[in-house]
This record gives sequence, C-alpha cells and structure tokens, in this order.
Amino acid sequence: MKISGSYTMQAARQAVWDKLIDPDAIAGCLPGVEELTKVGDNEFTMAMTVGIGPVRGTYAGKVTLANLNPPESYEMQVEGSGRPGFVKGSGQIHLAQGVGGGTAITYEGDVEVGGPVGSVAQRMLGGVARRMIEQFFGCIEKQITGG
Amino acid sequence: MAVTKLFGASIKRREDPRMITGRANYTDDVRLPGTLSLAILRSPYAHARIKRINVEKARQLPGVVAVYTGKDLADTLAPVPCAWLPPNSDLKVPEYRALAIDTVRYVGDGVAAVVAEDRYRAADALAAIEVDYEILPAVVDQEKAVAEGAPQLYADVPNNTAFVWRLSGGDVEAALAQADVVVSQRLVNHRLIPTAMETRAALAYYNPGSGELTLWCTSQNPHIHRLLLSAVTGLPETRIRVISTDVGGGFGSKLPFYAGEMIASAIAKDLGRPIKWVEDRRENFVATTHGRDHIDYVDVAAKRDGTITGIRVRSYANMGAYLSTAAPGVPTWLFGLMLSGPYTIPNVAVEVYGVLTNTTPTDAYRGAGRPEATYILERMMDLVADRLGMDPVEIRRKNFIPKDKFPYTVATTLQYDSGDYELTLNRALEIVGYDAFRKEQAEARKQGRLLGIGLSSYVEVCGLAPSQAAGAMGFQGGLWESATVRVHPSGKVSVFTGANPHGQGEETTFAQLVADELGVPIDDVEVVHGDTGRIPFGMGTYGSRSTAVGGSALVYAARKVRDKGAKIAAHLLEVSPDDIVFDQGRYYVKGAPDRVKTFQEVAGAAYLAWSMPEGVTPGLEETHFFDPINNTYPFGTHVCVVEVDPHTGQVTFRRYVAVDDVGHVINPMIVDGQVHGGIAQGLAQAVYEAAVYDENGQLLTGSLMDYAIPTASMVPTYEVDRTETPTPVNPMGLKGAGETGTIASTPAVVNAIIDALKPYGITHLDMPLTPQRIWQAIQQAQKGS
Repeated sequence: MKISGSYTMQAARQAVWDKLIDPDAIAGCLPGVEELTKVGDNEFTMAMTVGIGPVRGTYAGKVTLANLNPPESYEMQVEGSGRPGFVKGSGQIHLAQGVGGGTAITYEGDVEVGGPVGSVAQRMLGGVARRMIEQFFGCIEKQITGG
Repeated sequence: MAVTKLFGASIKRREDPRMITGRANYTDDVRLPGTLSLAILRSPYAHARIKRINVEKARQLPGVVAVYTGKDLADTLAPVPCAWLPPNSDLKVPEYRALAIDTVRYVGDGVAAVVAEDRYRAADALAAIEVDYEILPAVVDQEKAVAEGAPQLYADVPNNTAFVWRLSGGDVEAALAQADVVVSQRLVNHRLIPTAMETRAALAYYNPGSGELTLWCTSQNPHIHRLLLSAVTGLPETRIRVISTDVGGGFGSKLPFYAGEMIASAIAKDLGRPIKWVEDRRENFVATTHGRDHIDYVDVAAKRDGTITGIRVRSYANMGAYLSTAAPGVPTWLFGLMLSGPYTIPNVAVEVYGVLTNTTPTDAYRGAGRPEATYILERMMDLVADRLGMDPVEIRRKNFIPKDKFPYTVATTLQYDSGDYELTLNRALEIVGYDAFRKEQAEARKQGRLLGIGLSSYVEVCGLAPSQAAGAMGFQGGLWESATVRVHPSGKVSVFTGANPHGQGEETTFAQLVADELGVPIDDVEVVHGDTGRIPFGMGTYGSRSTAVGGSALVYAARKVRDKGAKIAAHLLEVSPDDIVFDQGRYYVKGAPDRVKTFQEVAGAAYLAWSMPEGVTPGLEETHFFDPINNTYPFGTHVCVVEVDPHTGQVTFRRYVAVDDVGHVINPMIVDGQVHGGIAQGLAQAVYEAAVYDENGQLLTGSLMDYAIPTASMVPTYEVDRTETPTPVNPMGLKGAGETGTIASTPAVVNAIIDALKPYGITHLDMPLTPQRIWQAIQQAQKGS
C-alpha cells in the first residue's frame, strides 16, 4: 500500500533533521514504541505495540536509515513481525525550507502487512499509518519548539 | 405403495431442536479427559523459503507439551492426498505436506504445530516460534501465473500448470466459422470463501491397548476420510474410526481431507493423549478451501434467428497452492460436461487450465463447476439476445431441449434423464408478470429510474453417480451409496446411511421414507449417520446426491425388510406369502383383514425365532448398496427484478421468483429451505461476497467484517414454486435439491442488474456488482457518451 503526505513544522530545517534521526526522539515520539536500541550505524532494533483496526499486538523488528543526505532527505526501512503477522515498509523523507523559517516535510512510501493482521486490518492501515505519522511529526515539532 | 402420507409432507426438521438449543454434539463439544490442545503456526507469507525454524523457546513455555515442525512429521505422515485425477490431462500433483518442510506457498500454509495443556498456551507458544523466511516472489492471479516469467511454485510443474483438460462434442470451429454472429466475452467467476457456520475441528484419540485411532472431525464423507487417513498414516482401516455426526455446514469445504486432521491424528498416536484442534474463524478463512475462481474466455456461435450453434470456452481455474482432494474434478468434469445447459447446442468445446498460485487451495463449493457453467451460459444468452435484438425470454425458448426429446444426449455425451424446461420458464414469467414488468420498466426509464429483470434457466447434474462414470472421470472412489435398516425386537427402527447430512435435513426426510415403507410411526425411526464404526460404508454427502442415491439405497433396504417380514407373517398366519397383503404397518391375509400381524409383532417374532419359516434366518435387518444407472438433472428458471440507484449504484431487490423442478419432493418445507439458502449464497456472489488477495498474496478479506456474507436484511423475499417432472433413475422419482438455488441465482441477479443498466449501453460487468463498481461503470458510460 502506498502512503504519502506532507507536514509543515515551525522549526528550522537542521533542527528538524537532527531530531528525525535521533533515536531518543524517535522512541519518544513514535506512538507505541516500547524499546529502540541502536545496533549499528543508522540501524536500530525496535519493539512496538500497534493497533490496526481490531488487531492489536507487539511487533519486534528493525529500523534502518539509509542514503542520508543531511539536512534534505533520507530513506527509512522498517521491518517488524509478531503474533499478529508482519509489517514491512520503506519510505523517503524530504525536508525543504519552508516559508518563514519553517520546514516542509514530504514523505512517500510503501507499507505491506501480512499474516492475520493483513487479512483483517489491511483496509484500516492507511488511516492508522497516516494518524501515526501525524502524531510522530507533531511530537517532534513540540520537542523542538518546546510547545 | 409408492407414495403414502409421509412422502410429500412438510414435517419440521427433527434435528433442529437440538441444534437451535445448543444441545448438538459438534466436534468441539466432545470432551475427553486429558485432552491437549493443538495449534498450527501458519505462514504469514504467500511464498517463502524456510531458512531456519527455532522452536526451543516455545518448547520451554509453561504448559507446552510438544512442538513439531514439518521435518518432524515427514516420516509419520505421507503427503496430503489428491483423490480426483482426471485422465488425459497431463496432471501433475505437487507434493502437499501437512506441515511445509522447506517452502511455504500460501498465507496459511502450515509451518509448525504446538501441543499444550490448553488453547491459550498453545496460541502463546506459536508466537514464540522463530522462523527465518527468505521471501520469494508470489503470484496470485491465474492468468499471470501461466504467463512467461511468472514466479514458479514448483520446479516440476512448468508454468504453474497442474493440468490442461479438454472436452468437445461436435465441431465447434466449423460452427464458429459458419455462424451469422459470434459473440465473445471474458467472464470472471471470482473466488469465494465457503464460511460454514462451524469451522473445521478435529479430536483425535489413539488407544494404545487396541491400537485404534478415533478421529472426530467435521466431515461430509467420513468413510472417504477414513480411507485417506489410513493411506497417510499407514494404520489399517480396521484400526481407524472417523466420527462426524453433527457437522455445522460444509458447502463442499468439508469434503476435502486436510492437514489439520492428519496432524492431530499423528500427534495423538505419538503422545498417547487425545489431541483437539479447532480452527478459529480467522484461520478458517485461510486454511479451509475456497471455491470458484475461474476466468473464462467464451465464444458463442449463433444464427440470426437466435439459434445457438456452438460454444467454445477456454478457462483458467485457480487451484491455489496445492491440489485439494476433489479439486481437479470441479473445473473439469463438473463444469465442462454442463456447458450446453438446457439448450440444444450441438457443438461444444472446452479447454481448462488448472493453475497453481500462491493462494489457499480451492475445491468444491456449493454447486461445484455447475454454477460456473450456468453463469457462462446465462450471461451469454443475454449477450447474444442483446446483439440480435431479441428478448432474453425468446432466445431461451428457441434453444430449449423440447420436452418430448428426453432422455436427451447432449454434445458432451451426458444423457439428461427428464425435463420440461419451458414449463418452469412459463410459470416463472407468469408469477413475475413479465409483460407488465416490461411496460413498467419502459415507463420508469422515461423518468430516469433503472429497473431491470434477469432470467436464469438452468439444468444441473447431481445425485452424483454412477460408479462407472466416476471411474472414467478419474474420481478415486465409487459413487454408490449404502443403507442398513435394522428393525429392533420392539419394532423400532435404526437406519444407517452412508450419506452424511450436515444441514440438509436427512434425519427427517430419510425417516419419512422408512416410516412410509415399513408403516411405522416416524418417531420409531432413528437415522444414524457419520460414524464409520456404525455404518457399513458410505460415499458421503455432496453433489446433491444423498437423497437420490442414499435415499434410494434406504428404500431398497426397507423393502427387503418388508419382504422378509411378509414371509414371517405368512408363516405365523399359516398362509402362503403370496396371500399376504402389507398395508400401513400391518400384514394381513388377502380377503381376511382381521387375520393380521402387525409389523411390531413380526419384528418380535423374528428375534424370538421360536417359529421361523423354512430357510428364513432370525433377526430383521437388511443392507442395500445402490448404484444408480445415471445422475439426475434438476432444472428450472429463476427471475430476479432489481432497481439500481443511478446516483449511488445501490441495487435494491424488488422480486425474486424461483421455479425449480427437482422431481418428486419428500418434504416441501425442507426443499424450500434448501432453495432459499442456495439462492442467498448465489445472490451473495453476484453482489456481495468476494475473496480478495493483494498482489503479494495477502488475503484482504479474511474476516466477517471484510467478507460480506449477507444478513437477512440484505436478501429479498423469495417467491418459490415448483413443477414436478420425475426421474426414472431412482424408485422415488426425485432429483437433488441442495445446489439448484446457488447454481441458478448468480446469473439471474447479474442479468437483472445489467438489464437495468441498459440505458447506458452497458452489456457486461464482472461480479461482485457492488455499488462502487456499478457507479463507476455509470460514470464511465456517461463520460463516453
């Protein structure tokens, strides 16, 4: 499933970039993250509890950041599996200078879910992902602006 | 005494009180002390290599007794068998392991099995099993699967093509060449999920003392399952008992022999403890067979006057990842043989590709092959009529096999037993008020309202038999049926049938038959089924065969009992058996009705055996194996009337008229029920239900929230009527009635909706005709014009 969208933050691009690749900020802001451990350059293991439609469960997996081009763009890969099935996704994140010193973030990616969660919750996935991304960026923005 | 008072009586189903008050005995209701719970880990990927499985963590969880992988069971269990092997089709049966050993091929393929003290612990342990998968490219669409460069499921099945099956009669190429018009259409008969109310379940118990394995399971055909269980475990049939007494619906999905039941049996023997496995609904959606899933390319040759001269069909049947038990027979024989339907089409040719894909295996689903054939014919009839500017009624009438031509041999060599197709058509048109409706429709169209009427005239082959034909078709079994009628000393009767009703009501209708034949009260007759330990043998319930074949066996067995009783009665009354008259459960002397022995007195005498006629053995019990000379061919016409909202695409059902002819009817109420349920299922395919996979092989419709089984408010009120054209192939003159509704209704509904959309120039849309699909078609048509 293709997911894309945009979010504008009232914060400088470099500050946004620093937060977006900071494991503590990711762990603190991505809803449901219970554990995020750095295991290599730009590689993290993660445990995350997510409810998609009627299926709520914990997924253990890996987050990888690649093709880092600070402070403009990077790619992110997420892989997780657990009792409800598996979630796999990859995406590109672009940061552009916005008007008035803000930052315009655009993202596009592909998410795949499978196993039991895929068969009952796939049609809810788009909405859940979008909401999580919104919450994530909102939280990052708050951390930067202290709002 | 062919027809007495119970034959034809609408008696309420005797099995219902226990079923609707929670007192039925389904597999999960059977409790044995010390039972362990089995859960199966299923692949979340449609196609992947298993690089590594680590079950150690799972093994160590509290309450976990054992964990098995595919390798652990490889020597204990032979592969899951396929038992319908159509000859001359270059058939390749890929190896189907109960648990995958190195490769998984669909989401739901078994990977490991956990046995624990209870179901919850077993489920927890599944999550603790670590499987390292190497994900392989998957293919779910059968046309893509046969294309060059497609992912291959098996090294030894080139192009994922398990078989190519051809059948022809006449010369269809000449018919197409000489036709005034040729109408061609690609038709998709999409995938469905049977969704029986009771999911599959198994309880296996191995008695180490007797060496006997008892398997309670949800089977439509316990004796066939015993035979196959014997084949895969190596245990002799004498050491296996399969019990499936109360089964909560099957629709074909409980006909195949499955991995879950095999695994439970093997582990029960291994651990020496009873093992219970019960699918949850989510598991049922992926682990129990699906149905239909055809893509058909159809060419019909016709003369300008509407005479159909030929039909050519090329089909791609999606078999799923493995060949299920009866699967290869469904899109071949059960489909191809019926491609001329109720019409005199002299030239027929069909070519079927059985294609393996990374999806749940398909097999029989209510109607099995015949709905697919009927959908093609009835859709094409409308398309040809539209092309020629004919009325859909007239083109059908023109091509019907005339009633005086029966028995009639069709181009595919089947011999139809009896029929009067125009009679059901006329009756249906009369009930619906066809001419008046066409006027109303024309008026409505002027106001921008979309009314539509759809016809479906069908004939189907059921009462599946005879055994010789089964052999010729590669079905690895006979198609006869057995019955034993045991009269107890009190005159009470136990009837043992090899059919295994699982919702069709034969505990009632079979009792009606026997009560009539023996003249005993119906309450004195019990019908025993679904237990290989009590029933001599049986081929089971599918293809609307139980009553036509099993009921006939029963009637013959009961008549043998009656005849033996007559000899005993004659002896007791000191007259010749020729002088005995049997009527309403009384044997009396011809001309002297006061010299009488009741059936119960005779039964008692047979067991006391103090004074038996010479050459007559004690006891009163007879068995009969019946193998009919032919199938039966029920037929009818269904008419659906709809209104489509042009703004939303929403379909409203205004009328649904069904006129069926299933020959004589034992219990009209039960047949009505079968017709109602059948229509609901077929109509659901037309507008609601669809199994949908994404391109990675994930089933997107894996729950009852996503797979739209209609509720009562989503189906119309049915107006059901019947004509009665008896068949000569069985003593009761009856035909099957379990599948007619499903076979007839799908095209009737689609034809009605397409008729409603005629003002837009729309001639065909593939199912399911959801509001979205209809709305989009309307938008496109409006853009085009």
